[in-house]
Amino acid sequence: MRGHFRISGPLATLLLVLVVHLVGMLLIKGFGTTFGVRAMLVLAALLAIASIGQTLVILLGGIDLSIPFVIGFANVAAAQLYGQGVPFAVVLPGVILAAMLVGAFNGALSSILAIHPLIVTLGTGTTLQGAVQLWTKGFPTGGAPAWVQKFVSIGGTIGPVPVPWLIPFTGVLALGVVLLLSRTVYGRRLYALGSNPRAARLALVDPVRMWTVTFALSAGFAALAGILLLGFSGSAYAAVGAPYLFQTIAAVVIGGTALVGGRGGYLGTLAGALCLIELTTVLVGLGLQPPLVQATLGVLIVALVAVYGRESHVRELI
Amino acid sequence: MKRLFARRPELRLAGGLFIVLLLLNLILNPVRFAPVNLGVTLGLAAPLIIAAIASMPPILGGRGGIDISVAPLMGLVNVVIVRVLVERAGMTSPFEIVPIVLLIGLASGVLNGLLATILRIQPIVATLGTYLLYAGLTLTISPSPTGTAPAWLKSLAGTGSILPILAVVAVWLLIKRLPIHEHLMSVGSDDRAAFTAGIPVTRVRFLSYVVAGLFGAVGGLSLTGLIGSADPNVANSMTLLAISAVALGGVSLAGGKGGLVAAALGAVDIFLLQSVLTYFNVSTFLLQMAYGAALTIAVALNSSRLGALLFRGRRA
Repeated sequence: MRGHFRISGPLATLLLVLVVHLVGMLLIKGFGTTFGVRAMLVLAALLAIASIGQTLVILLGGIDLSIPFVIGFANVAAAQLYGQGVPFAVVLPGVILAAMLVGAFNGALSSILAIHPLIVTLGTGTTLQGAVQLWTKGFPTGGAPAWVQKFVSIGGTIGPVPVPWLIPFTGVLALGVVLLLSRTVYGRRLYALGSNPRAARLALVDPVRMWTVTFALSAGFAALAGILLLGFSGSAYAAVGAPYLFQTIAAVVIGGTALVGGRGGYLGTLAGALCLIELTTVLVGLGLQPPLVQATLGVLIVALVAVYGRESHVRELI
Repeated sequence: MKRLFARRPELRLAGGLFIVLLLLNLILNPVRFAPVNLGVTLGLAAPLIIAAIASMPPILGGRGGIDISVAPLMGLVNVVIVRVLVERAGMTSPFEIVPIVLLIGLASGVLNGLLATILRIQPIVATLGTYLLYAGLTLTISPSPTGTAPAWLKSLAGTGSILPILAVVAVWLLIKRLPIHEHLMSVGSDDRAAFTAGIPVTRVRFLSYVVAGLFGAVGGLSLTGLIGSADPNVANSMTLLAISAVALGGVSLAGGKGGLVAAALGAVDIFLLQSVLTYFNVSTFLLQMAYGAALTIAVALNSSRLGALLFRGRRA
């Protein structure tokens, strides 16, 4: 079952990306141009980075609703601090570390007190965003250094290659996450705890430690995405993460990772992120109004998951 | 009252919070909470209370059961009433509008139930899909706030504000007298045991989504009364608030524990908390921060694991 999911999930999603892309090229003028593809790659890379944490947390059997708030926090805090003259070499690790502390709190509280992470992450996320807004009085200032802007710019290049550094960076990051999941003790423990918490505990996997570490990682990657988004948009905005609440979950699920935990992987999420961005771009390109794009996307997500993300019937669980 | 809390320990926190917050509100804001203004005050809280009650049945069914499309459904009902039924079809009578609204709720419930239990798409994804669909349709029907609701609907924000809540409560009391309620609770506690005991697990869960849809539609009536026009932007923000209310009230997101009193009490607590915070005229940011912190602390205090940790030492 697992082999089936891990091989066919991402591949199926990638094939779908290809089909959507071909449809886009057929129906929309200028869809396949270098600029269009570059824009989609950058947007997909940002979503993919924000979805790393969601993938890990969902594999564990949890869910992280604090991702959009952490993205907003990192976005505003990095801009504000850098604007006040703190060197970026301090800002970057500082902000990510602060976010990871919040994430660790989420994981520890949910696992020690057995509270559903949905509520804990929602509560801390809301608090965090309120605190950041209070600090900047709702008008964040500052920006990102020029090199970060170039790093994520759609027009950026690496020598003769017409993509910004963000794309190979995301590739390396993805490789790292895949290796982390498949080749390390942490990865094995993650799958073990996600597929059967009771058995994992008997195998001496410490659930509190795993939850704390995984939610910290999730917040860390969300903060990274928030800082990259600062480079992408140029100025800080506390609600910049809002679309990522449902997009990260959708990318994970379209990629074939089950929300019950223990089944799936990051390659699927990568393909899922690409798929979401392709679909959105095609729908916008077809001239649909934003609300209709949203409605169609809702139908498509359900249709996609209905094809290969269905849960098993209760009689098969006995 | 005392017996109720003894039997339902998960209600203690929400109940205690209710009393404290109510007293605070009575001291700070006696006019708003005077008996004369009770209808209006209840009208302010009614949409959230009904949204929380509507979100509850799928959560009771367990195994990740959740309906995040309740609030967008309320928004959809709102714009359909004002822009389509009143403006285009010229309907004003409650005897025309209410049945149509209930039909929309029924259709939404059946759709969510089909997706989440028969097609077996993970509930949060299935209802996220319908969430996006409803939110998109709402904005397409009414891109900006406009129109006016009929007078009888507007009275649901004042003197008649208790009516939609009473309707929902009456239906739930009826459901509690039927076998389906016991079935739902046992499916929520342990669906495998329930299945082997011969309970039609899928049908029970399906019906929980239908109830959510119907209640959500009633919530849409209440919301329309409160805003008195068509506004596509009000409802969606209530999604996470409704789920928070349900959790705050002590309904377990794992299923099988909680009920209408818990969900409604959680919603009232959130409303009273917001009311206290707004009285102090603090910035919306501080309000948001305090609300998030209160939610986290309350849910942590409500955890049964906390008591075990404090009194029996750590045994994880």
